[in-house]
Amino acid sequence: MCRPLLAAIFLATPALADYREVVEGHILPGYAAFAAATDDLAEKAGESCDAEALKPAYQAAFDAWMAVSHLHLGPADEKGRALAIAFWPDPKGLGAKAQRGLLTGDPAALAPEAFADQSVAARGLMGLERLPYPDEPPAADPCALIRATAGDLARMAGEIEAEWRDGYADLMLSPGAAGNASYLTEQEVRQALFTQLATALEFLADTRLGRPLGTFDRPRPERAEARASGRSLANVRAELAALRDLTARLAPEAADTLAAFDRAIGLADKLDDPVFAAVADPQGRLKVEILQGAVKTARDTAVAELGKDLGVSIGFNAADGD
Amino acid sequence: MRRTVTEMATRRGFLAGLAAAALPARMSWAEAGSPAFVAAGREGEGYSLHGLTGQGEDIFRIALPARGHAAAAHPVRAEAVAFARRPGTFAIVLNCVTGKVCHRLTPPEGRQFNGHGVFSADGSVLMTSEVVADVSEGRVGLWEAETYRRIGEWQTGGIGPHDMKLLPGGRLVIANGGIETDPTDRTKLNIDRMQPNLSLLDTEGRIIEQLELDLDLHQNSIRHLATHGDRVAFAMQWEGDPAIAVPQLGVWQPGGAVMLCPPVEAEAFVMQGYAGSIAWTADGARIAITSPRGGAVMLFDGAGAVLSTHRRADICGVAAEGSGFVATDGLGGIWACDERGLRPLAKGGSAWDNHLVSCRV
Repeated sequence: MCRPLLAAIFLATPALADYREVVEGHILPGYAAFAAATDDLAEKAGESCDAEALKPAYQAAFDAWMAVSHLHLGPADEKGRALAIAFWPDPKGLGAKAQRGLLTGDPAALAPEAFADQSVAARGLMGLERLPYPDEPPAADPCALIRATAGDLARMAGEIEAEWRDGYADLMLSPGAAGNASYLTEQEVRQALFTQLATALEFLADTRLGRPLGTFDRPRPERAEARASGRSLANVRAELAALRDLTARLAPEAADTLAAFDRAIGLADKLDDPVFAAVADPQGRLKVEILQGAVKTARDTAVAELGKDLGVSIGFNAADGD
Repeated sequence: MRRTVTEMATRRGFLAGLAAAALPARMSWAEAGSPAFVAAGREGEGYSLHGLTGQGEDIFRIALPARGHAAAAHPVRAEAVAFARRPGTFAIVLNCVTGKVCHRLTPPEGRQFNGHGVFSADGSVLMTSEVVADVSEGRVGLWEAETYRRIGEWQTGGIGPHDMKLLPGGRLVIANGGIETDPTDRTKLNIDRMQPNLSLLDTEGRIIEQLELDLDLHQNSIRHLATHGDRVAFAMQWEGDPAIAVPQLGVWQPGGAVMLCPPVEAEAFVMQGYAGSIAWTADGARIAITSPRGGAVMLFDGAGAVLSTHRRADICGVAAEGSGFVATDGLGGIWACDERGLRPLAKGGSAWDNHLVSCRV
């Protein structure tokens, strides 16, 4: 008796499988893993401020962030959380400046509630990176600041995870329901997820790869993301993997887009230049440019293919620019 | 509630027939159903100009030959001028009662419309934002607003003018965006040396005051305007390094100071450096700017302090309505907006274009 009933339920929901699959199989597990990894980092920091002891937990937390860093929806964008979690790029060095103030200033600013109100530039993964991976000796003992930053990161990760689980996921999964002013139709949910994908691929090409590339006459390897912790290329690879996963769940039939991702991922896997230091010489630069081109192709392919298959597009006004 | 296009067209056609038989073509906004706003939209492959109530209901819909941008509403007669998207080769004067095209405006040889325009307070002259196509130098096109004959032009005092608004006493304030563009494809040609300004013109077209921002903001293109009394709120679009946080809103008191109004630090990049539209409530208490790129509307008080931020994908059109705002988005949504949030008023098949233009002049 149960069998036909179950079959009926499954038959009734295939139209929802696309974005439901993204929310339940990509977003919620991604934030849960990020919350767990930052909890672990905060715990390790509580045990020891030794840089070598912290590095594995720091790397794991950053890995977990890269699985969700492309999601600028709801809780991550509230209260500047995503901005604080990964304040980059920072061309004016605001983070280092604000952090020096915290390191040598009134320790009261490091108490959890006070710390949450400190500059977004000084907090999060990029703020924390400067402590176990200093490029100059710290102006004071960084231990209290390491603990405050790690604790604050875990707090933000926990809040994002909880707000998705206890509210925002329901908004995405019930478009058009009474009182749901965030998503009026199923199409708006698909559109929102597609926008995350397209925007993240643009950020990857223009910023994560584009900033260190600079121009041929003026390459800027010093502008690579997370150089101190050696993560510049690792972040690109992790984000490509995350975006491919998002695509495979949102539009499993999008063969051209998935193939374009596989090509970019293959190029990134072969690249032996962890912090894009080689962009300063023509040979090394060419390889990064080829990867950048593959990322742009993945973006254009996604816009064309998903645009047709899902009926989504880059925003009518956002793309107009006037 | 909204009627279908066919019903509207039929009813409008019927009324138009009556009107044409009985009256000269001088119809008031009341006869057009007293729309609160006009807005351009896209339906499928077609484009049109809509009249909307303050609750976002469609009152009329008139086909346009191509994508629109903004419109200008005549202060008395039920006439709206729909401007083409930049680089604009046409503007169309529409009778909003009959739905008929009254006049087609073509810029003079070597000029292009730039998407915005405004009527003089008495409605006798239409002023259009234009560029000399080859060099993007700004011009105000002057059109006598009975027969829409070109009667002259003024200098805007800058490159790439966009929005313009009237101030008390018939003065005209113009946002010279500073960007020189390729006349065929909008490619930006002078980003490294652009210098936007606000220019204030008297009723004879003489430049009586100009405002330039500090050098570190020379890449913040001043594009859209809203006024309250003598004051001008301006919305900007950042062409510099996207990693640098800059204000999108400023408020200028001609003859006095300018005040820049940055977002709070945590929301420094919410607008992605881009404000698409701006509105100021009649009581002066609230200013709204929108960002379709950031998917957000940000509210400030009349002194430029941040009130709140609300998220909505591709939101762009915004106009004052009472003590709050109505906003439109590219997904077809029309929203009531105040400090507390966005409340859906209507959702239909039109992708709303950049601007929602108030008819209550």
